[in-house]
Amino acid sequence: MAKVEKKEVAAATPPWKPKPRPIVRLGIVLISHSLLVSVVCCTAGIVALFLLPMLAKNTYISENALMPGSASSMLSNHDISEAERLAKDLTSLNSGAADAGIERRRVLAKYLSDLGVEVGYHKFQSHQNQFHPLHFFSSPDSGLSRENGSCSSYGINVVGIIRAPQADGKEAIVLVTPFNFRKNSSSEALSISIGYAVFSLLSRVSWLAKDIIWLVADSQYGEYASVASWLRDYHIPVFSASSSHNADSCFEGNNINLSREESPGRTEISSGFRRAGTMAAALVLKVTDVKGQLEDTLSVYAEASNGQMPNLDLINVVNYLAVHRQGLRVKVEKFLSVLTWEWIWVLGDTLNFIGKVAGSLNPEWKFGISTPDYVEGTATLASSLYRQALGIPTGPHGAFRDFQVDAITLEISPKVVYTNQGRRNEFILRSARLIEGVVRSVNNLLEKFHQSFFLYLLTSPAKFVSVGVYMIGFALLVAPLPLVAASLYVDANKPEPSSQDPKQKLQINFKPWKWLSAAKQVFTVHAWGVFVSLLPYFISQIPNSTPAAHSIIWFSLSTFGLLVLYLITKSPSKPQKGKWENLKSLTISAVFIGLLLMSVVNFATAQIGALVLVPACLLAQPLKLDIRTASLKTFLRIATNVFISFVAFPPAGFFILKGVNEGFGNMDVGEFWTWLESLWAWNSATYIYIGMVHLPCWVLCLQILLHSC
Amino acid sequence: MPTANTEEENSKSELQKNHGGGGGFTRWAVVAVIFRLALIYFPGNLNLSSRPEVSTPLTSIRRLAEGYWLKQSSMSPYAGSMYHGSPLLLSVLGPLTVKSLVFVLADLISSILIRATGRKLQIAYRKSLKSLNLLNKSTDSGALSSGDIAALVYLWNPFTIVACVGLSTSPVENLFTILTLYGAATGLAPLAAFGWVMATHLSLYPAILIIPVILLLGYGPDAPPSKLFRSKEHGKVGDGKSSQEIIFSWRRVFHLLVWTSLWSVYVLVLCSISVKQHGSLQEMFQRTYGFILTVEDLSPNIGVLWYFFAEVFDFFRDFFLIVFHSNILFMILPLAIRLKHRPCFLAFVYIAISSMLKSYPSVGDSALYLGLLGLFLDELADMQFSFFLFCGYVGVSLLSPVMHNLWIWRGTGNANFYYATAMAYACFQIVLVVESVSSMLNHDRKLTKLSTSKLQK
Repeated sequence: MAKVEKKEVAAATPPWKPKPRPIVRLGIVLISHSLLVSVVCCTAGIVALFLLPMLAKNTYISENALMPGSASSMLSNHDISEAERLAKDLTSLNSGAADAGIERRRVLAKYLSDLGVEVGYHKFQSHQNQFHPLHFFSSPDSGLSRENGSCSSYGINVVGIIRAPQADGKEAIVLVTPFNFRKNSSSEALSISIGYAVFSLLSRVSWLAKDIIWLVADSQYGEYASVASWLRDYHIPVFSASSSHNADSCFEGNNINLSREESPGRTEISSGFRRAGTMAAALVLKVTDVKGQLEDTLSVYAEASNGQMPNLDLINVVNYLAVHRQGLRVKVEKFLSVLTWEWIWVLGDTLNFIGKVAGSLNPEWKFGISTPDYVEGTATLASSLYRQALGIPTGPHGAFRDFQVDAITLEISPKVVYTNQGRRNEFILRSARLIEGVVRSVNNLLEKFHQSFFLYLLTSPAKFVSVGVYMIGFALLVAPLPLVAASLYVDANKPEPSSQDPKQKLQINFKPWKWLSAAKQVFTVHAWGVFVSLLPYFISQIPNSTPAAHSIIWFSLSTFGLLVLYLITKSPSKPQKGKWENLKSLTISAVFIGLLLMSVVNFATAQIGALVLVPACLLAQPLKLDIRTASLKTFLRIATNVFISFVAFPPAGFFILKGVNEGFGNMDVGEFWTWLESLWAWNSATYIYIGMVHLPCWVLCLQILLHSC
Repeated sequence: MPTANTEEENSKSELQKNHGGGGGFTRWAVVAVIFRLALIYFPGNLNLSSRPEVSTPLTSIRRLAEGYWLKQSSMSPYAGSMYHGSPLLLSVLGPLTVKSLVFVLADLISSILIRATGRKLQIAYRKSLKSLNLLNKSTDSGALSSGDIAALVYLWNPFTIVACVGLSTSPVENLFTILTLYGAATGLAPLAAFGWVMATHLSLYPAILIIPVILLLGYGPDAPPSKLFRSKEHGKVGDGKSSQEIIFSWRRVFHLLVWTSLWSVYVLVLCSISVKQHGSLQEMFQRTYGFILTVEDLSPNIGVLWYFFAEVFDFFRDFFLIVFHSNILFMILPLAIRLKHRPCFLAFVYIAISSMLKSYPSVGDSALYLGLLGLFLDELADMQFSFFLFCGYVGVSLLSPVMHNLWIWRGTGNANFYYATAMAYACFQIVLVVESVSSMLNHDRKLTKLSTSKLQK
């Protein structure tokens, strides 16, 4: 009997309720104040985003081996006059003639082989970018189809390779100049001149430690396609001869047999594929005519697919040499419309004022920034975020990033179109010296670029925000999600007061985990999201239809799918207590996981997505509940909810943004389809994000809003 | 005889329920098999068999193909440090390396065995609850029994599907582990012995399952603590004939040991025949067990050992090898003492711990213990953090491939990124084990409390 009594004592003071661990207690405190925490965190996250231009640091060259500008330029006027002779020869050919393209290639190849470098032609077939759902999940080479196309879509690149006298040919630096062999364009000829001037110098110098490859990319099917196909052939050799055979037969049909061509210069021109070592860096050089500039400018484009950036050191070297050696004005892309926004200027003034006050209190605090600097920085940052978020490369350099090669596009635009030969020569000299300096710096590298940042946002050519800084803002923005999810979960799964009933307490209940049904719902909606994102693959196969028709088919099929899913999974059971809380908690968790994943894949998309999804998820609450307790607060919440859920619908958001930027006048339903087509054609992860995270979460938010509780 | 009557009734309703649920199970199982077949014969290449999460040096089908090729060309399959599996697997799976259906079959059999085990466990559980007068009839109206749920969880777990479609050999290893548990739960000592010998032979770590198997055969399936029954006896002293005393059945354990030695000799003889021409048994042990224990292959996987042993100085390597492996061994005894009345659950805990600390873990191992977790749904209904763990598993299993991509393909991340997800994964596994054990103990305490309060009345 004594034993039983002992048991009773033990039962009276439940032994299985020990004091929770400190970390659990901290969690409980945070969870119980989740409303306050989420308001504070979200506000702080948005404020931190606007503070980013202020927190940007000046760039610095992190890799010591680069030593930019330490050697004086060796480029002479002889090189430039040679280059100009080439440009004249190229432009003097009659552009109307059918074989002008072939003739130009021959001229270029002759000049190159006169330099004594290896010359080769690279034939390629331009691929139509097609949506293939597997491209996102497989390695870069596996999804490529090398199917036969019509002979008309073949292009030919000209490749020159300088073998480094000092080295073993294990590494290479790539220069790319896009050039349309069929057309006469003065700016492209100018870029060829610059390229040739550098190349002819490099063919003589003794300090080369890396091979130099000059790729004159045939840009008649777009600059990106030619560079991408050359890179693919460079890195992924084809062992079956079918593909090259195919191309050859095409050229024979057109009476252009390059392989049996007479060698015009000192070296043999081979039609076989020529390779050098692994690429240390690549520079894409373009010259454009932009009217109304005050000085010669250099625009740097760096964004590759999915918001990947080249190592910051590469941009630093270019920026340093351009500004401090050649006196070019360097700029990166920015949103000009931001400059006209009044409130940004007001914000800049405020921050400037705060910085000044802080500086007067303590001279150590130097975080002030002048208003124009702030606004410029914001405009650049916005553009940087937008470009990265789109996930579409901003130039041919994007193709290099897919093979882990750091590359940027340098777009040089002269002040005026030079007619005077002397001024023109000076322009070529400056540009070519810039390229020479960059090549010389990269040539010094002992390893591949690794010292500086890969994850950053630019706020000006010489200022950047690193991952450690911008992640704070994002983390603050998404931090409320797990907290609110946990607090909702705790609320929904509190033991019901009825279970205190002593009769029930004496029994063992077999109850399933309550949140499982909500999890099922969330899962089905996400499965629907996968279905919706795969649909365009099939819809785009429909021949002879317009984008508008495509989007209507897509929309109706998606809605139909959602309806079917809803009818299948509709549970007949009566609404239980805590059902919508569980659903909301699951939704928020799904959003959190999705945003976290996306922030690793493409930060900019995640940041922009979080700005929309986080408030939408946190505010969502059944409208019925709000209507029942009609007050100003609930009315405000209803209004915000309806507004956000309208804006968060991807097509609606797209058209609103478009309307704000370009006016609501000419709207076409097909535009949304076209936009998404561009995303998937470039394998942008943003497409996946929209289809598999954003859209399902929007649907779930709607479900919560319309929940019958 | 009220007890016998209700027992019959109960088992009848049990059967009916299982029959009703059986239709659901069959349907879902068929769909799962079709789903797997569709994925295996998918025209595009999913590249699953080269994912580090799916195929480890021990389970990779490509290594098995290499070993088979070496054997075909009259060389030792272990030449060249490619293959590290069993020679028996080579003879059975070798001819079928491409798109074989063996793994689908293995998964299906595993799920059927889990279901049968679950039914056994549930009947035993209800019986013991009833003998304590704790069973509440009105509430037990779940659509599926826990065995069905466990089997379906195993079949539909994305980890299992990925391991099966990625053609790693872990479905076969899992099959033998489950066979062991099934044999032990149904009291078939020869079957349990066979499963245990094969599982140990294939992947070494199931060796520690010998303790739960002995307990399972000795005491019978999971039950509330034995002292509960004893105190009940005390309470009803006047009532002479009540449920029987729980006795440890030495006879079955003896059978088990005999059969184990028989099967071991048999497997060893088969192995020696298989490797006789080109090598020896010693080489086999070195290349399989030695490879597992010395962590020779440091290519990244979802475990925590590769990074550590890549960083550690060679000087300390042996010391840390001992430390890491004895981690598993240290936990065996305390857990066995604390959970000896629930041998099946003990087996689950052992499997979870070893799949966390083993040298080359893959998602197939996680699939096994997550499937087994379903067997204890009734007992673990009050588990804390279930939601948190669910989200964590989903998040980590999605984040890990992304980090791997960032490190290997894009070059913008580094090994730390990937290892961070491996550590997070390990943490979630630890939380899962800790929480499930503590909620199981809580469940026992609750039973104790209930039965004592019943006795008071």
